[in-house]
Amino acid sequence: MEVRHLIDIDPSGILVRYNVKMEKEMTPEEAAEELYPKDSIIYPIAKAIFEGEEDDVVEGLEKAISSGKDPISLIDDALMVGMGVVTKLYDEGIIFLPNVMMSADAMLEGIEYVKQKAGRAPVVKGKVVCHVAEGDVHDIGKNIVAALLRANGYDVVDLGRDVPVDEVIAAVEKENPLMLTGTALMTTTMYAFKEVNDKLLEKGYKIPFACGGGAVNQDFVSQYELGVYGEEAADAPKIADFIREHGGNIVKLREKFHKH
Amino acid sequence: MAVTRCTKMAYASADDMVFGKAVTPVKTGLELEIGAGYTTPEVNYAPRPEAGASKEKLIKEYERITTDIMARMVQIGAPAVVLETEHVQQMSNHPDWGAAVAHAQKTIMEDYHDEYGIKCALRHTIGDIRETRDFLALRGDKYSVFMEAFEQCAQNGADMLAVESMGGKEVFDYAILRNDMAGVLYGIGVLGSIDMEMIWQDIASVAKKNNVIASGDTDCAQANTAMFIAGGLLDKNLAHTLAIIARTISAARSLVAYEAGAAGPGKDCGYENTIVKSIAGVPIAQEGKTSTCAHSDLMGNIVMQCCDLWSNESVEYHGEFGGTTVQCWGETLAYDCALMNVALDSGNEKILRDMFVASDIYRDAQGYVLAYPNAYRVGQAIATDGNDIYLRAKNAAIECINIVEEGAKGKLELSRFEAKALADAKAAFEALTDDKEKFMSDCLTKYKQEVKVFKPENYDL
Repeated sequence: MEVRHLIDIDPSGILVRYNVKMEKEMTPEEAAEELYPKDSIIYPIAKAIFEGEEDDVVEGLEKAISSGKDPISLIDDALMVGMGVVTKLYDEGIIFLPNVMMSADAMLEGIEYVKQKAGRAPVVKGKVVCHVAEGDVHDIGKNIVAALLRANGYDVVDLGRDVPVDEVIAAVEKENPLMLTGTALMTTTMYAFKEVNDKLLEKGYKIPFACGGGAVNQDFVSQYELGVYGEEAADAPKIADFIREHGGNIVKLREKFHKH
Repeated sequence: MAVTRCTKMAYASADDMVFGKAVTPVKTGLELEIGAGYTTPEVNYAPRPEAGASKEKLIKEYERITTDIMARMVQIGAPAVVLETEHVQQMSNHPDWGAAVAHAQKTIMEDYHDEYGIKCALRHTIGDIRETRDFLALRGDKYSVFMEAFEQCAQNGADMLAVESMGGKEVFDYAILRNDMAGVLYGIGVLGSIDMEMIWQDIASVAKKNNVIASGDTDCAQANTAMFIAGGLLDKNLAHTLAIIARTISAARSLVAYEAGAAGPGKDCGYENTIVKSIAGVPIAQEGKTSTCAHSDLMGNIVMQCCDLWSNESVEYHGEFGGTTVQCWGETLAYDCALMNVALDSGNEKILRDMFVASDIYRDAQGYVLAYPNAYRVGQAIATDGNDIYLRAKNAAIECINIVEEGAKGKLELSRFEAKALADAKAAFEALTDDKEKFMSDCLTKYKQEVKVFKPENYDL
């Protein structure tokens, strides 16, 4: 029995539950079913990725390799296809972030398995260096960014949290990534982003520096030359894809991703 | 200090709970009483990014902030104010910095109190600095620096000591992103409570020694993370039904501060505080519509229902048309408090309380469960097994699920996704053992394996 409240109201005149109104007719499972590849060898792998079932992913890969598939080709032809279903449905608001994280875990397990089988590393879409600002130990945002980038086929060099500015610069010099990401929770720690920006410019690195998290806002990120603001973690792979397609022009990136 | 578990409710009924009054009011600062029949604004702020560059710059920034707030409160005739300084990491890592800021602030506040008689108090919230780059280091070398920060602030002007502790966060962060309810329960309810039991006995001792108030802790690092990830109605990052389960578990955790010697007021961002107040009877701070400067949530009015301090959470210090940010937000808080205080003086507080509740209760599952009659039920579920940190946290989650299910049969609309997440969570909790030792043992094995940054020695396990 619902608790009787002292003032009984008709909520419809006070608020609109847009999420309930907008909900798609189709269940996530039905929507995914429409997107899976029909190939009987690939289908179970893609489905296991969607369901985040690591053991089933490996089992599907075993069968595919036994049937003569090249292990490394299965990354693009099966694992990434399954992950593509996941990211498409996430972008469309049909599934939620935890589903993506579980699928990403399953995909990474699958990639490890095929690497072992093939004895070599796959070609990736590009490299991204991720870090949490110096002085800041809050890393859940960075972990989401890293998982989403990996789920979209990027090689992530994760420097961790509370990363000294010079260590960020050294990683950029060493890894030559297509972009750098930075997350921060506090106003006083996000100032480190500006120092990273200045040192990168001093050394002649003009790579996009995608920043976001907690107190970070577009105005602050716009103050330094390489800064591109990401409002959500899910913007990170989109920014990376845009750089692959259109280059790392900061002005164009801001036109595309700055929303305010 | 000893730990005395809460096994009974402080209030005989939910209806006895109201804003501005607590079973055990707290006297603190310069003639201020909290929970003694009136509400007080609590202004909270963050320095500008560049202010952290040196100790001198930081002190100057906090002097400006403090003067601005006190001046505006006098200009609008506010009878009382609390200032909360949430330490930036530099201040807790260097206890003398935090102490110098506390001293500078209190000196200004004393001047205003002497000249105008404004009641005021200073809360310092120490940063939980017990982390290395790679791991939580809850019991390592940083613990002494952490405690020294409390000590020095208490000696130099802080009237109330608080913290937003991090215990359990490494497991929680992993679990919440995977819909893993056992992990959420273990991280918040068990690991978090174990850590709080340790730190709050020590904080309470520091407070007692220095004749200041040990005020409280929140589960900001976990329950607020869940609320923040869950976001608004259209966000797709976490089901709101799971965010409220994390929140109710956090009440069992936040309660530990009071069991270990804290007196309140609970901290503003603890949206679980109504539940805690129902059990412990302590005054609480809350934030809602006046914290939109810091974050958005779906509980703007409802959380005012039982607040004793009304806070803006945190605003970066800078200029606005109406003055500096702390002046603008402080003024808004003061007018909200004036309204609540008129309600209290005129005997209309329950009417206003229920209007706050009615305006938000069906907005979202989170507000629905935190509405005081439901929050009270969660409190009862916790107190029933108050001596067992595992069972009481599990009880809170199960009662939360029951409440949302009941609501969904009435006017609380759930999206299909939220309903499914709730059903999955229910199945997960129903499958859990009632045996704390078995749960602890199973989780230790599982999360040692799955969460690389989980160090059991942090919890003496």
